Amino acid sequence: MLVTFPNMGNVAFAARALCQGLKIPYVMPEKNNKDTLRRGSFYAPEEICLPFKVMLGNFLECIEKGADTILFVGSCGPCRFGEYCELHMKILRRLGYGNVNIVVADFSPEIGIDALRHRIAAISDKSPVGKLEKLKAVKNAMIIEALCDRLDRIAYEMAGYEVNRGTCKRLMYEYKAKILESKEPDETIAMLRGYLRKFGEVKTDLSLDPVKIAIIGEIYTVIDPFSNLYIEEKLMDLGASSSRMLTPTWWVKDLVMKPVKLNSPNINRAARKYMPFPVGGHGKECIGEAVLAAKKGMDGAIQILPLGCMPEVISKAILPSIRRDYSFPFMTLIVDEVTGEAGINTRLEAFLDMLGSIKKRGGSGRKHNLTKMEPAGSLLRRCANEADRKELFFE
Amino acid sequence: MIIGIPQGLLYAKYHVFATTFMKEIGAKTVASPTTNKSILDEGVRYCVDEACLPMKVYHGHVAWLRGKCDAVLIPRFMSIRPKEHICPMFCGLIEMVSNHIPDLPLLIDTPVYSLNRDRMLIWAKYAARFLTKDQKTVDAAFDKAIMRQNDYKPGINDEGFPAKVALIGHVYNIYDSFINMNLVKKLNALGIGVLTGEYVPGDAIEDEVRQLYKKPFWSLAREYYGAAVYIRKTKMADGIIYLSSFSCGIDSIITELIKCENDEFPFMVLKLDEHTGEAGYDTRLDAFSDMLKRRKTKFARYVS
Repeated sequence: MLVTFPNMGNVAFAARALCQGLKIPYVMPEKNNKDTLRRGSFYAPEEICLPFKVMLGNFLECIEKGADTILFVGSCGPCRFGEYCELHMKILRRLGYGNVNIVVADFSPEIGIDALRHRIAAISDKSPVGKLEKLKAVKNAMIIEALCDRLDRIAYEMAGYEVNRGTCKRLMYEYKAKILESKEPDETIAMLRGYLRKFGEVKTDLSLDPVKIAIIGEIYTVIDPFSNLYIEEKLMDLGASSSRMLTPTWWVKDLVMKPVKLNSPNINRAARKYMPFPVGGHGKECIGEAVLAAKKGMDGAIQILPLGCMPEVISKAILPSIRRDYSFPFMTLIVDEVTGEAGINTRLEAFLDMLGSIKKRGGSGRKHNLTKMEPAGSLLRRCANEADRKELFFE
Repeated sequence: MIIGIPQGLLYAKYHVFATTFMKEIGAKTVASPTTNKSILDEGVRYCVDEACLPMKVYHGHVAWLRGKCDAVLIPRFMSIRPKEHICPMFCGLIEMVSNHIPDLPLLIDTPVYSLNRDRMLIWAKYAARFLTKDQKTVDAAFDKAIMRQNDYKPGINDEGFPAKVALIGHVYNIYDSFINMNLVKKLNALGIGVLTGEYVPGDAIEDEVRQLYKKPFWSLAREYYGAAVYIRKTKMADGIIYLSSFSCGIDSIITELIKCENDEFPFMVLKLDEHTGEAGYDTRLDAFSDMLKRRKTKFARYVS
C-alpha cells in the first residue's frame, strides 16, 4: 500500500508527518504547479470549482508514481466539496485507475461513526507501530500543522515591519524546503521551533505603519498559495502586512467544536447581522472575518473565491453592505484555471495604492468606534517567547 | 394586506400551496408576471454578477413587486427533506435580495427546514404572524392549501410524437418558457415529445441513488440523477436533454455523474444564461433531433 494525499498548503506537511509517524509508505505530492492544474482541468468537468481540478491533478501525478490509496476528507454541507470524492472516484475509474482506493474521512452523522472507524482502520491497520505510537503520530502531525500555520502567520504579518525587505519571505521558503528533507516528525518539530525563534530575531521597525490587509474567502483557495497566485507572497513583496483567520488548524478546531456549537463564536457573532443562517462552505465565516477585520482597524480585505463557488457568491453579494456600514474597502479576486497573473498584479498594486492613500489622508472616516486594537507588532514580541511553549495546538 | 409572490425559482412547484394559504388567511395575493425581457434586465441589474440565471430572474421578479404589495413572500428553503439540502444559494437568497434591491417592502422570509407536516405547520404559523395570530384559521388554511397542493401535479408527458426525450433539470428552468426560449414548444415542433422527471416513480429514484458511493445531499440532485439513470435504463425516452444554467454548482456535478454512467444513450446538456443566443440554441436542438431520428432508422434497419 502506497498512500498519498492532496496538496493543500501546509496540510501536506502534516499528512506526511502522520505517515512517517505511522511508518506507512507514502508518496508526497509535488508542490502544486501549472502542470498539476493543466492535467487536472483536462479531465475534470468544465464547470467544477478550482480545488477539484488541482486535487485531481495531484492524484494523477501521485498515481503515476505508484500510489494506490488516497487519503481524503469529505463533508455533507450544501457546498460542492462533499461530492468531490464521488466524482474523483468516477473519473479515476474512467481513466483506468479503478484499483485506486480513496479513503474518505467523512465527518457526518449520515454515514455513522462505525463506517468512519472502519475506513480509518483500513489505513491504521497497515501500520506496524503500537497504539500509543499511533496517537503520538496524530499528535505530532497536529503540532506540525499548528507550527506551520503559526510560522506563516508571523511571516505574512511581519513582512510589513521588516527592515530588510525579503527576510521573512526567505525564512518562510527556507523552512518549507527543510521540512521535506526531515525524516522524523520529532526532528521536524524541533526544526520548526528553531524557525519560530529565528523569526523573533528578524530586525523589525515597529514605527512603520504598513497597509494591513485581511485575506478572506473560500478556504482552499485562501490556504493554497498556488491557487491564489501567491497573493500573500506578492503582498509581502509590496511591503504590506496581511493576515487571515482560515488555516488548517482552524478548520480542525472548527470541525471538533461544531457539534457543540462552540466553533469560532467571535466570527459567528460578527456575521449574525448580515448572515443569520449558514449557507454552507465558509460563506458565513467570510462575512464574519470581514466585519472583524473592519472592527480591528485593518485597512482593507481581499476576498478570494474559485469561479462558481456558491457560498462565496452569496458572501460577495453581502460585502457591499459591510463596505457601506464600515466604509471598509474590499477587493474580490475570482480564480480559475485561466487566471492571468499580470492582471492580478495590476489590480493588487492599484488596490494597495488606494489603501495607502486613504491611510495618508487619515483613514476612511469611519464613524463607528473601533474595538481595542492590538498594538502594532505585539505578535512579533510574543512569537519569540512562544517558541518554547508546548501547547501550540490552538491559539 | 397584499402579499406579493415572485414567480421564480420553486414557484413552479409550490405556488398552489403559497397562493391558497395566503388567500385563506385573509390576504390578497399578487404574483409577478411570467418572466419577460424587462424582468430579466432588472434582475441582471440588481443581482450579483456571478449568480446563476434563475437567481437573476428571481431578483427581477422581486424588483417588479415593489410598490405593488405590502409584503413579499420569499421562503428561505434550507432543505425540503431531513438531512438533505437544496442549493446554498437558496439559504442566502434573502440576504442577496435585501442587500441589493432598494425600497423593498416587508419580506416574509420564514425558513423552511423540511416539507413534512409538523415542520410546515410551524412555518405556516410564523409566516402568517403578520396577518393573523388565530391558530384555528392558520390550521384550516394550511390543510386546504396542502390539499390543493397535493392535487396539483406538474409534469409533461407528451404522447403521439415520433420520438421522445426526457427533459431533466431544475423546475425553474423547465417551466419558465422565457428563459428556456420555449424549449418544449420547439421540441414539439421538431416532432419530439417531452417527458419530465416527475413521471419517474420515487422508489426507482431511491434505488438508482443507492448505487452511488455517497448519497447526494442535495434533494434536487438526487431526483435528477435518479430520474436520468432510470430513464436511460428503462428506455422510457429516446434521449435525455439536461437543461442547466451557467455556473449552477449542482448541475456541474450531476451532469458529470450522469455522463459517467452513460454508455451510448443520447445525452445533451443545454446551458442557459442571460446571453444565450437563440440561433445557436435552435441549431443544437435541430442536430439533436436529427440524430435521434437517424438512430431510430438505423436501429430499425438492424432489426429488419
